[in-house]
Amino acid sequence: MNFYITYFIIAIGLFGFSALFALFGVYAERKVSAFIQDRLGPTETGKYGSLQTFADILKMLQKELITPAAADKLLFILAPAIIFIAVYLGFAALPWGPGLVPAKLNLGLYYVFAIISIETLGILMAGWGSNNKFAILGAMRSAAQIISYEIPAGFAIISVVMIAQTLNLQDIAAQQGILANETTKFAGFWDVSSIGGFFAWNVFRAPHLLVAFVIYFIASLAESNRAPFDIPEAESELVAGFHTEYTGLRFALVFLAEYSMMFLVSMVGVILFLGAWNTPLPNIGPVHLATWTTGAGWGIIWIAIKTLTLVGIQMWIRWTLPRFRVDQLMTLCWKVLTPLAFACMLISGVWRLWLM
Amino acid sequence: MNLAQVLFYLMAFIATASAVFVAATKNLVRSIFMFFITLFALAGLYVLALADFVAITQIVIYVGGILVLILFAFMLSGKETLNTIGELRSKFISINKLPALLLAGLFLVVLLNMIFKLDADNLGWVKKAQVTHNMILPNSSMTENIGINLMTKYLLPFEAISVLLMVALVGAAHLSRKGRSA
Repeated sequence: MNFYITYFIIAIGLFGFSALFALFGVYAERKVSAFIQDRLGPTETGKYGSLQTFADILKMLQKELITPAAADKLLFILAPAIIFIAVYLGFAALPWGPGLVPAKLNLGLYYVFAIISIETLGILMAGWGSNNKFAILGAMRSAAQIISYEIPAGFAIISVVMIAQTLNLQDIAAQQGILANETTKFAGFWDVSSIGGFFAWNVFRAPHLLVAFVIYFIASLAESNRAPFDIPEAESELVAGFHTEYTGLRFALVFLAEYSMMFLVSMVGVILFLGAWNTPLPNIGPVHLATWTTGAGWGIIWIAIKTLTLVGIQMWIRWTLPRFRVDQLMTLCWKVLTPLAFACMLISGVWRLWLM
Repeated sequence: MNLAQVLFYLMAFIATASAVFVAATKNLVRSIFMFFITLFALAGLYVLALADFVAITQIVIYVGGILVLILFAFMLSGKETLNTIGELRSKFISINKLPALLLAGLFLVVLLNMIFKLDADNLGWVKKAQVTHNMILPNSSMTENIGINLMTKYLLPFEAISVLLMVALVGAAHLSRKGRSA
């Protein structure tokens, strides 16, 4: 019976973490955007405006939940929950450190990939349920974009799986450091099994995965509807896209899902390409930096730092690049990223057969 | 009843009840969203049958792909068209429904016949597999098994399907091209 209680505690902990991260993420986003645009951002509420998002969430909790008269009520109410749950379920399979994973799935990566795609359905539900032309246009754009970008993302992931030979995220993580069971080679020629550090990360084990990582990162921006791929909620033309009609707590849930999605896709990217919970510090001769900085606690610290860096890059890109037009977005996906991802997959096969 | 059985009956009930709703409701969009629940319950049943790879594939392909594309087509068609389809009057028994009723009835007869004739607890091939230990255990890895079988035992069907998909892709590309002169 005890492990059921553990499951509940872990589930609640993950929910609490995603809520906290959303609070922190919104604040960081405001400060980052302010820095990039040479403004100050929130300054009034708390020291350096640090209580601004708490104030916002308090305001949202008090707001009336408005349901438009012509909306399909059931779909309208259920949609934000489905959007958030789809993202939240994805966290179940992600490893945080050696031996620290909520659910040991041997199909972990495939499961995460599958569960993320449900978010599209929630977005379509919100768009249709709102009975609003902006909402439905936003939802359709979002669906078209997510379905298209799943293809290059999928092939970038497959090229990692071909190198790693497993779908278990914990095994993929363990391969990229000093805890690996097999010999790890830096760029295919230098044995770094006992050196570890960043030399053993997937992007350096097989350098073509660097390209795959960039493809995955671009596709993950599109899948979480972030700028420059935020045409589903393009505020200059669609008001706010699929969540135009949402107020109060439901609107907060949509935002919670967006920030959790940012963290989730970054974390999957870190696990697949950037060494997961492994330390970036290598063993140099008698200085066993990698051995000293590997462990459950260190694992959480490393994966959190790496993931937050990727989230930071997502924010940086959002406030630097202008929004794509629909045709440019599709051209980039089908004519640039998809062929490149196919090439990566091919090189992965050759690499695995001849160099590992 | 152990937990697995409770889960089986729960998911079987959800699957059948939502499937009945999908077939019976007049609101087409809601029936599509209900179909999503049917597919999820089916995925759960696959997991209980130790076919976790099939379960996740079902979610990727049906929920993430086909269902979204169906919804896409719905949204392009507009609410008025959908309402007219929903308002088509139909009596429960009419001459138009005769073939469907006949088919469903005959199928029911076949199914009932199967259930009564089949002795599910003592199937020959199941017993044989148990004796020779040719079976999948909860902790055995499915992906390798499926991959090796696809590339050896079932290579011909696998390749035939890939050719079929290729044909479909070429067809779709041909249809979507701008016609020069019809």
